Amino acid sequence: MSKPEITYSQLLETNNLIQQNSDETYWLCATRTVQESKIFPVSAYILFSYLNCFYRFPELLKKIEANMSAEEVGDRARNSGIKILAWTIPCFYLLGREMLINWGVIKPTDAVEDVVYVMDFWKRFQLSWHRNNGGLTNKQGGHRAQIFPEQKLQVFHADAFECEVGDDLHTAAQEFMATVAQYGFLVSCESRLTIHNHGPYKISDNREMLIRDFRELSEYDFPWLDDVANDLDYNNLTVAMVVEDTHITLLDDWGSFEAEPELKSEHIKAIGLWTADNLTDGHLPVGMGSPEELTATFKNLTEKVKEATSKLWTQMAGWSRDQQMDAGALNYFACAKELAHIAGCYEMKDWMMIDERAERFRPLLNDEYGNLFLGELVGMITQPSQMAHGYTMAQHTDKPTKGLSFIPYSILKDEPYTPGVGPIRGGVTNLSAKVDRYRTSQGFMTQEQLNKECRSFTMTCCQEKYRLLCADWVKYHYDTELADELFRIEQKNSRNLKDRGAGLTCQDIEHMRLARVEKA
Amino acid sequence: MLKLYVDTDKYGYQSEFAPVEAYNSAVKDLLRRKFSNSDVPWEDFVFELEESLVTKADMSAIEARLLAFGHRFEPSAMSSSQERPEAYKDSGLFNEDFFFEHEDAPTADGDDIGRMLRGAGDNVVNHENNLTGIAQYIRTSDKVLKYLTEGVPENTIAIVDDSGGTLTAPILEQFSGVLCAGGTTRSHLAILTREYNIPCLMNVKLNGIKSNDRIEVEVTAPSKTADDYASGVSTLAKIWRL
Repeated sequence: MSKPEITYSQLLETNNLIQQNSDETYWLCATRTVQESKIFPVSAYILFSYLNCFYRFPELLKKIEANMSAEEVGDRARNSGIKILAWTIPCFYLLGREMLINWGVIKPTDAVEDVVYVMDFWKRFQLSWHRNNGGLTNKQGGHRAQIFPEQKLQVFHADAFECEVGDDLHTAAQEFMATVAQYGFLVSCESRLTIHNHGPYKISDNREMLIRDFRELSEYDFPWLDDVANDLDYNNLTVAMVVEDTHITLLDDWGSFEAEPELKSEHIKAIGLWTADNLTDGHLPVGMGSPEELTATFKNLTEKVKEATSKLWTQMAGWSRDQQMDAGALNYFACAKELAHIAGCYEMKDWMMIDERAERFRPLLNDEYGNLFLGELVGMITQPSQMAHGYTMAQHTDKPTKGLSFIPYSILKDEPYTPGVGPIRGGVTNLSAKVDRYRTSQGFMTQEQLNKECRSFTMTCCQEKYRLLCADWVKYHYDTELADELFRIEQKNSRNLKDRGAGLTCQDIEHMRLARVEKA
Repeated sequence: MLKLYVDTDKYGYQSEFAPVEAYNSAVKDLLRRKFSNSDVPWEDFVFELEESLVTKADMSAIEARLLAFGHRFEPSAMSSSQERPEAYKDSGLFNEDFFFEHEDAPTADGDDIGRMLRGAGDNVVNHENNLTGIAQYIRTSDKVLKYLTEGVPENTIAIVDDSGGTLTAPILEQFSGVLCAGGTTRSHLAILTREYNIPCLMNVKLNGIKSNDRIEVEVTAPSKTADDYASGVSTLAKIWRL
């Protein structure tokens, strides 16, 4: 085996990224408990997904970068929304590696170049996605995710409609958010991958805004939504929720939030609804012409989501265990498929199949083993590979453990290593064949059409002229024509800010809102 | 026989749980044999020969050996024990007379207004008034399907095993309250009941409440926060049989 091309510096950084994920994984899992379901063998399918990630991510992430860099993918994701990737990409992959190390199937010195690449891809994507707040993860920002630029936030702030507990809009919005969250957990096989929150964003002394993304609601990649969700006209919906007299104290890398005092429905004071996908030029308002129109839109969507929930639940409750395993594992594994869509290289056979190498281990993954092994890996940190020397004090627990194995530095000297798992192999699935029909903002498309459209479309704010015009540039150039152009991109569909340009501040928008409230 | 890389481990010894150790040891033993017989260096074995030599049939054989010792798996999903009753313990999910008998549930005889304490749990959201209703165990998709077809009776307080939101997905909003034997106030079911504004207790310990019992739930108790969990603060809401 030749010496790796990896440098000491790269390895130091890779192991640092591994350790950051190790510490946060423990914290996230310890504060959530294991999710169990009578419908899904959750822990078993989670482990299954980890294996699939280990065997497939390196090749598929390289395929994405053959079309578009991780940084550019991050730029587009930042502007149109994305599922939870901050924790999922590195940790699903690394936990698959950890499983195989504990089975003796691989050594910590195997797939070294893969591990370095996956972590580097993730780092570059994350830094781009988090560009506006300069962090790598929500954790690094003190469990906060300020993703959107000022110009988009101003539109959401200005156009959200005021509401109060008991009024029609408030009631309809609350019911919609509950119903779509319920549906989301079902679509994602008991996981929270359909729902992603970011923020909080400051509105005023006693108001904050939370952005709530509900993604992949209609017919798209999941075979189980074919014929179930065809009445849902929007694949992605974004709710801007303004809360008053409560402070969102935490928004973690699973997209979950906490508030102090506890968030109750009476804290919600304004609401708005938008949609975006890889083919929209930013976020498009949905039912945002008037409070009455938005109320009717929420009610209509709620009815459709309820209907889809009943259909989907009936389908899933009749699945075999193998089908449940496949759907759950593919839902987890395919979190990163969003990036393949952005890059215009999504293929069903890449993302909706269990790799033959992972499939071998299916017979091990009964419910009991699934619960106990997963519990040891992410909760108790008690697998042999996770034990460190006795002087070690792990973050959060002070125990001599390390949740995710480093790459030994000895590979840079003379210890043999292997570079990677190689090309993806054939895949298997027990699910129904996916219908070649994908819901987009531009209508239904085939996979080939969708890829072609995604490759040829660049949203205006990501075009070369505007892509690098960041908040720090705006700060010193807000009075230029170019800054006005930049802001008008987001303002073009705004009810209250159309063509207002770059001169307004958050406080100006709030004064405009207060004036409207007073007038009403 | 050749040793695996992980056979030499200064700090790690074995898994915490016996079934995990049994499986992981069996896979390692399989790898030792296959690698030993392959007569190639590890670098030519892993991701190359190993892929064809370590098969799904090998994994099935590992499971068969464990079952031959009389071990039966604890089921989580309904499908697991339904499809393979020979491999899983009886889930007991279809026992219509089932009720929780948690040993650590607080119980007491009737208080000054005749309420019999029969359990407690972690309150998700603090409400203005306690909740009263009729308890119903919801443990199977058959029961959910029945309610989906016929509608949920008024004032039903669902008692469920798991903290997930999928089992009761199509009917959750029709419950007047939920008692969940697992999870925390940050679990999926807790998130959903909060969104629906349905009173809910998580991590419930119950002893002596059966389906059709009339119960009162102390949802006026403080909600349990992440800090409470982290610092071990006990903020239990009580459950009484009326």
